[in-house]
Amino acid sequence: MKRPIPLIVGALSGLIVLAAMFIVPQGGGILAIVLNWVIIVAGAALLVAIASLVLTHVRFIAKGKKGFLLSLVLVISFITTLALGLLLGVDRPSFLKFVGAIIRPIETALLGLVALVMMSAAMKIFRERGWSSLTVSFGVSAIIFLILGLGFPQNLNIPVLNEVIRFVEGLPMIGARGLLIGIGIGLLLMAFRVLFGMEGFGND
Amino acid sequence: MSPSELLTLIVGVALTVMVFSYILGDRLFFGIATHILIGVSAAFLALVVMQKVILPYLVLPLAEPNGPGFWLALVPLALSILMILMFFRRGTQAGAIPLAFLGGALAALAIVGITRGTLAPQILSMLGRFEPDQLMREAQPQWSAILGAVMILLGVISVLFVFHHRGQSKAGEVVRPVFLEGVGSIGQIFIGITFGALFVGLFSSALIALISSLSDIIQFIRLWF
Repeated sequence: MKRPIPLIVGALSGLIVLAAMFIVPQGGGILAIVLNWVIIVAGAALLVAIASLVLTHVRFIAKGKKGFLLSLVLVISFITTLALGLLLGVDRPSFLKFVGAIIRPIETALLGLVALVMMSAAMKIFRERGWSSLTVSFGVSAIIFLILGLGFPQNLNIPVLNEVIRFVEGLPMIGARGLLIGIGIGLLLMAFRVLFGMEGFGND
Repeated sequence: MSPSELLTLIVGVALTVMVFSYILGDRLFFGIATHILIGVSAAFLALVVMQKVILPYLVLPLAEPNGPGFWLALVPLALSILMILMFFRRGTQAGAIPLAFLGGALAALAIVGITRGTLAPQILSMLGRFEPDQLMREAQPQWSAILGAVMILLGVISVLFVFHHRGQSKAGEVVRPVFLEGVGSIGQIFIGITFGALFVGLFSSALIALISSLSDIIQFIRLWF
C-alpha cells in the first residue's frame, strides 16, 4: 500500500527540481534554495545513519552479543576520533595526521589484499563459467593489456605495431561505451519510477 | 626519525599486519582493523558533515532570526527533525517524508545528470565519427576511419543486446531468438575486452598498494635489525 504524503512530497520535490533546471535562469533561484535543502537533509540523513550504526553496536555490547569485542573496538575508535576532532578541530593538521595514520595503512593493505583476491577470482571465473565468449575475451584481453602495460611492445618502435597497439587500446572503449549507455538508460528509467512513486519511498 | 614518525610507522605496520592476517585465515585481527577503519571513518565523516554542512547551512542561519536565511532554514530543520524521529518506533512513518524529499530531488538530478552527462555525450561522440570530414580526406574515403566508426556503432549496439532478456518461454526457460543470441555473443566479447582491461588497471593499482604495504613492513624490520 502506498502512503500519500511521502509520495506527494517526493514527486513535488523532483518536479520542482526538474522544472527549475529546464527554465533556468528564471528557476535558478528556486533551484539554489531546493539544492541547499537537499544538501542539509542529505547531511542530516548521513548523521542519522552514523548515529544508528553506533547505537546498534552499543546495543550489541550491552547485550553481550557474539562478536561484541569488535563492536567495542568500533565504538571506542569512533568516540576517540570524535572527541579529538571536537577538541583539536577538523582542519587542524595534527588531527588530519592522526586520522591519516590510521586510515591510510588499513586502506592500502586492504587494496593490497584485493590484488590477491582478484588473482583467485580471475581463476575462479573460468572454473565457474567455463569457456564462453565472455571468459575467453576477458582472459585474452587481460593478458594483452598486462603485456601492453609493461611498455615493452611500445619500446620496439615498429610503426605497424604501434598502429596495432593504438587500435587495440581503443577496443575497451567500445564495451565501456555500450555499458555506460545501458547503465544510463537503466538509471534513467529507475529515476522516473522513483519520481512517479512506482519505486522506493511511499511504500509500506 | 622523530618520535611521532616512529609512532606513525609502528601503528601503520601493526594495522597492515592485522589486515594481512586475513591471508592466514585469521578473522579476529582482520575484524579489529576493519572495525577501527569504520569507527574512525564514521567519526571523521560526522565531524566534516557537522562543520561543513550543518553548521554553516542550518545552525548559523537559524541563529540570526532577522537574517535573510532564517525562514528558509526552517524547512530543512523540520525535515531533519522528522528524520531523527526515525529512531523511535512510532516515528518511522514521519521519517519517510524527508527521505521522499531527498529521493525525489535526487531522482530529478539523476535524470538531468544522466541525459546531459552520460547519454548525450556518449551517443554524440559515437555519431560524431560518421561526420564527413572524419571519413573523407582530400575527396578520398578514409577506410580505417570508416571501419572504426562502423565497428564502434555495431559494438555498442551488440553490447546493448547482451542485456536484452526478452524471449519466448519454453518449459520454464526463456529462449531468445537466434539473431539476438548471436548479436549478444558479439557484445559479450566487447564486454570481456573492457572487463579485461579494467581488471589489469585495478590489479596494477592493487599490486602497487601491496608493494607499498610490504615495503612499510620491511622498513620497520630494518629499523630494529
